[in-house]
Amino acid sequence: MFKNYLISAFRNFVRNKFYTILNILGLSIGMATFIFILFYVNDESGYDKHHVNHPRIYRIDSEYSISNKVDRFAIAPIPMGPAMKLEFPEVEKFVRFANAGNVLIKHDNKEYYEERFYFTDSTIFDVFTHEFVLGSHENALVEPKTMILTEKIANKYFGNENPVGEILTTGQGTSYKIIGVVKDLPANSHLKFDALISGTTIAEEQGVEDFNSMEPMRFWNIGVITYVMLNENSSIESIHEKFEAFYDKYYKPIGEQINASYSLLTTPLAETHFRSDLAADEPIGNKAYIFIFSAVGVLVLLLAAINYMNMATARSANRSREVGIRKVSGAYRQQLIWQFIGESVMLSIIAALIALFLVYLLMPDFNNITEKTIAYGSNPAIFIIIAAVALLTGLLSGIYPAFYLSSVSPVTALRGSGDTSAKSKGRMRKILVIVQFFIAIFMIIATIAVSNQLNYLKNKNLGFSKKDVIVMQLQDSAFRSKGEIFKKELLNNPNIVGVTRSTQVPGNISWIQVMNVEKDSQMVQSSLILAQVDYDFLDVLDMEIAKGRNFDINMSTDDTGAVIINETGARSLGWYDDPVGKRIDYNIDLEGNVGRPMKVIGMVKDFHFRSLHNAVEPMILFIAQFNPYHVSVRIKEDKTREALDYIEQTWNDFGAKRPFDYYFLENNLNDMYEAEEKIEKIFSIVTFLTIFIALLGLLGLSSFIAEQKKKEIGIRKVVGASVADILLLLYTEFLVLIMIAFIIAVPVAWWRIDIWLKDSFVYYQNPGWYTFLLAGAMALVVGILTISYHILRAATSNPVDAIKYE
Amino acid sequence: MENNLMIKTEGLIKVFRTDEVETTALNNVDLEVKNGEFLAIMGPSGCGKSTLLNILGLLDNPTGGKYSFAGHEVSGYSERQRARLRKENIGFVFQNFNLIDELTVFENIELPLIYLGLPSSKRKEHVEQVMEKMQIAHRKKHFPLQLSGGQQQRVAVARAVVANPKLILADEPTGNLDSAHGEEVMNLIEKLNQAGTTVIIVTHSQRDAEYAGRIVQLFDGQIVTENIKKSIL
Repeated sequence: MFKNYLISAFRNFVRNKFYTILNILGLSIGMATFIFILFYVNDESGYDKHHVNHPRIYRIDSEYSISNKVDRFAIAPIPMGPAMKLEFPEVEKFVRFANAGNVLIKHDNKEYYEERFYFTDSTIFDVFTHEFVLGSHENALVEPKTMILTEKIANKYFGNENPVGEILTTGQGTSYKIIGVVKDLPANSHLKFDALISGTTIAEEQGVEDFNSMEPMRFWNIGVITYVMLNENSSIESIHEKFEAFYDKYYKPIGEQINASYSLLTTPLAETHFRSDLAADEPIGNKAYIFIFSAVGVLVLLLAAINYMNMATARSANRSREVGIRKVSGAYRQQLIWQFIGESVMLSIIAALIALFLVYLLMPDFNNITEKTIAYGSNPAIFIIIAAVALLTGLLSGIYPAFYLSSVSPVTALRGSGDTSAKSKGRMRKILVIVQFFIAIFMIIATIAVSNQLNYLKNKNLGFSKKDVIVMQLQDSAFRSKGEIFKKELLNNPNIVGVTRSTQVPGNISWIQVMNVEKDSQMVQSSLILAQVDYDFLDVLDMEIAKGRNFDINMSTDDTGAVIINETGARSLGWYDDPVGKRIDYNIDLEGNVGRPMKVIGMVKDFHFRSLHNAVEPMILFIAQFNPYHVSVRIKEDKTREALDYIEQTWNDFGAKRPFDYYFLENNLNDMYEAEEKIEKIFSIVTFLTIFIALLGLLGLSSFIAEQKKKEIGIRKVVGASVADILLLLYTEFLVLIMIAFIIAVPVAWWRIDIWLKDSFVYYQNPGWYTFLLAGAMALVVGILTISYHILRAATSNPVDAIKYE
Repeated sequence: MENNLMIKTEGLIKVFRTDEVETTALNNVDLEVKNGEFLAIMGPSGCGKSTLLNILGLLDNPTGGKYSFAGHEVSGYSERQRARLRKENIGFVFQNFNLIDELTVFENIELPLIYLGLPSSKRKEHVEQVMEKMQIAHRKKHFPLQLSGGQQQRVAVARAVVANPKLILADEPTGNLDSAHGEEVMNLIEKLNQAGTTVIIVTHSQRDAEYAGRIVQLFDGQIVTENIKKSIL
């Protein structure tokens, strides 16, 4: 019996090559898309699950509430790990990571900047799972100034030589002995390091006693990335329950003095990649996007399945005779249902095999676009899912045609018409086409909206001018101390318009501190974001003063006594109408002594000092009393090359210990929207595929309808219809469906996009009406082009042929 | 006497309803067919011949009346029950052959045996035998569209008889054939009848009807005359 079905299915496929190819093409593209999305979602949701102990590992996060301003961080005070181990029997081990900064590493004549070298505790290998290629985890990182490299870094400095026992030296002259090499971290690791340095190095430099001190003051200094691993049967809840006593012992003494409190936050290791409310964290993923992509994956597959359903039922007239014969020969309906489902499953398995091949071919491009490094065979479980999906898709797409086809009574089937319920079947097909175009139009609108928002983000007036600004970081202190002369030297060049020095630059201003501020004639505590700058900061970055004045080097009091506040800050303190002259005291010690009392001299118009995912917060600017880290240079438009040459020359002339390094402020700001850019790219591709699959379906259906209406067209023409009349008749049939899909898609897309924008951004732009119109027009045009071939052929055919044919 | 009856209908009625029209295709048909009989049903187009044949062949249910097939009262049977009786007892031959284009001659003939659940070796044996008998063994790997009309009808007859049915129903079996091929097919059917199979054919052709032992004339859904030609042994 099975063999008979197989034969009959196979010969049917071959006989209807056109439809078979359309179906397999649609299904394989749909499945390939689905498989890619599966890989993506699997990778995103698999973060850090390669650590064997991950269910027991938690990251210790911090919530500081100072004068009612709450800030959360993905790091914890330096003594937090040891103190927790000491106080909570639940804690088996702790590990801390501290980034070594942007450090210059030298070996022989090789010199590179490294950003992902971390100091860490020797417990790391008891807690996390890392595979040693060379050396062993026994006593690893216990000795100060020892180092473990990842394979990538080992290769970079030592090529194929064994690096164990070799030395790497930093720009400052510290030497580290390499004691082992571990495998590179999987790409889906939240904390990515290139090398590990023994944490005892810091302890040795700082004095072991100092480093290990558990003085309450140390708990109010934000510190290091901290993980704890619990005992097998302990729960994190019990630590939270007992935290009050811990708080009283370590935090309360200082907290009471400064009117602040601390709350313990913990994040399970596998969730760290998705926790979105913390500062000082690595780049995070977005669960919403995982959901969106999963939904898109299923939709694309659904589209392909609908194609199959549509074409299978459309051709049912051709198959109904077979159904009749089989029934007359003794087939039960159930047997026929299984036969037809079997056919669609077979087709879907063929498509799945092609899809797997496509995925194999396109994997490098996929990794390129998503910036992932997924290996084709990386997760065998995925192939089981794919097999299940192939079966399910076959079942899903086959079930409706199977029930439909097998329902025909043998008498009608053998009469040849087979169309007992032609009307209802036609309706179902129309609904399916509407669903397809609904999805396609929705995807077009979504893609335009994402790209629209991205444009908005990149082009929004930020309250300063980001164009033609080069930013440098003066990392070595000797160079930094010559910052002011360096600035003057740069200004000698005609291609350099302005130079300013500051602690941080827009895009990443995050220094936050508690101050005393004047409110209703009283001084109250408030935490404000701040940047310490020089006299030219506002001018160089083209910021606008809304009230009062800019810093003035000729005013002797400006050096230490002047502060400029932003509009939001003034508003939040109730000063908006009259900010000038208000007091802000900076540098208050525990006894309440004021280090630096200042008066507001001006109010700067709000500028976006962080990405547009965040709202503008209260912030202040005042003159730095030290040599700040950042130097921003505004250069003449179109003189980039010349200006850079001069800056590099000057940099080297100043005897900087590090090679010349810089970035463009504009690029740096745009990079903050990388996630959205990725989404835009992926959406564009998926949208294209969605439309393509929908069009395959339309092509098949138009061919069928043209065939089916051959006689009707012939008769109409015989009684006087023109080609135009016929075209109108046929086009209307399809275009009405696309119009209906459009009318449904517009409000749904509007609603969904609005949610996305509101959830993801503080500043956004809803897509305009033309976005929707454009999407509708695109669907209409490609729809018309697709059906035109068959419809034109049918409309212009010789009527006599059509009638004779019947 | 009753035991010798294969088919007995009493007051059989079939009404077709569409949105606006009600057509009575069969109106109080009483008919008895004995085991081993060869019956021809004749009548003008639209008189209800095919409708009667479909009901007798359990392809369709009557609107009213009684129908007893081989001792079973079947007028209220579900499609599943009818399907079972059908595949065990009845073979069909159609005017337009109704072969599955995607299956070869062999596979077409094999079909009823597959649904009867016979193992492959048994099926092969039966099909080979019946192909020999119908003289189409040399065409067994051909597809229907590669055969002449006569050959196609021989395949259809082969398929109808391969499961050794008690009853063969043939609806205009020679309607699409030239006279030589038509005669060939009728001879085959006659041989089957002589071997003990009950045969009912619907036909326009007086020549075909001559093969039958009894001719029933149908007019506007009613039996108008019965004419016994040969005595039944």
